[in-house]
Amino acid sequence: MTSPPSDSRPRLLDGVMLLALAAVAGAVARILAFTPYEVHQGAAQKIYYIHVPAAMSAYLALGVVAAMSIVYLWLHDERSDRLAESAAEVSFVFTTVVLVTGPLWARPIWNTWWSWDARLNLTLFLWFVTAAYLVLRGAIEQDAMRARYSAVLGVLAALLVPFIHLSVYLFRTMHPMPIVLKPSEPSLPREMLTTFLIASLAFLFFGVALIRARYRLTPLFRSSAGGGNA
Amino acid sequence: MPDTYSYFAAAYVVAGVVYGAYLASLWWRAKRG
Repeated sequence: MTSPPSDSRPRLLDGVMLLALAAVAGAVARILAFTPYEVHQGAAQKIYYIHVPAAMSAYLALGVVAAMSIVYLWLHDERSDRLAESAAEVSFVFTTVVLVTGPLWARPIWNTWWSWDARLNLTLFLWFVTAAYLVLRGAIEQDAMRARYSAVLGVLAALLVPFIHLSVYLFRTMHPMPIVLKPSEPSLPREMLTTFLIASLAFLFFGVALIRARYRLTPLFRSSAGGGNA
Repeated sequence: MPDTYSYFAAAYVVAGVVYGAYLASLWWRAKRG
């Protein structure tokens, strides 16, 4: 595979990515300057506005992985495999943020960095499965075999998402239940709810922009790595 | 109100570092190719 001419090469910081970064910057500005502190938790409660949207973006990306994996297993279209790979990498990044920001929120509130309960363990397990997906892709040289094996693993990884979301209802856990994504009305004051919705939309858009960028840049990666062999 | 500012600041800085590192990795891998 040859690199496209330099003037037509896809760029990381194109209009979509710049717009997504501006949306994230705007959301963070609102969180920092225009959203009140929660009385019982203080500033640590504001971790909520990046922790939960990161989880939502990871779930969205895993949904793309599952959908594109099924499409690949059905149609054997290389583009769906490439999109699944891109979404898996982005999901890994967002899950990493979830696993880092969670303990930083838990320490002052729960008085511990980590609790070995269902929600946290399943999220950590998802992180390992996504890492395994990416390692698997790097370990198989033959394109069709790599795409087929990783598609199966991608679908299995996405199956963890409903279990993670429902784990707070199914098991005894220290992790709080959803206060917005639940059947009844959100339990947040209007000002905080508005900030949460803005942050969620901004990070979901950022996730889409990252998947798009990764997908568009992939041919450039492969041209230097010697991949893309049939 | 409890003083939990350091945890809040650490979470935002670390999240920024993770996102920034991923963007840098995309840029570097594309440039290397």
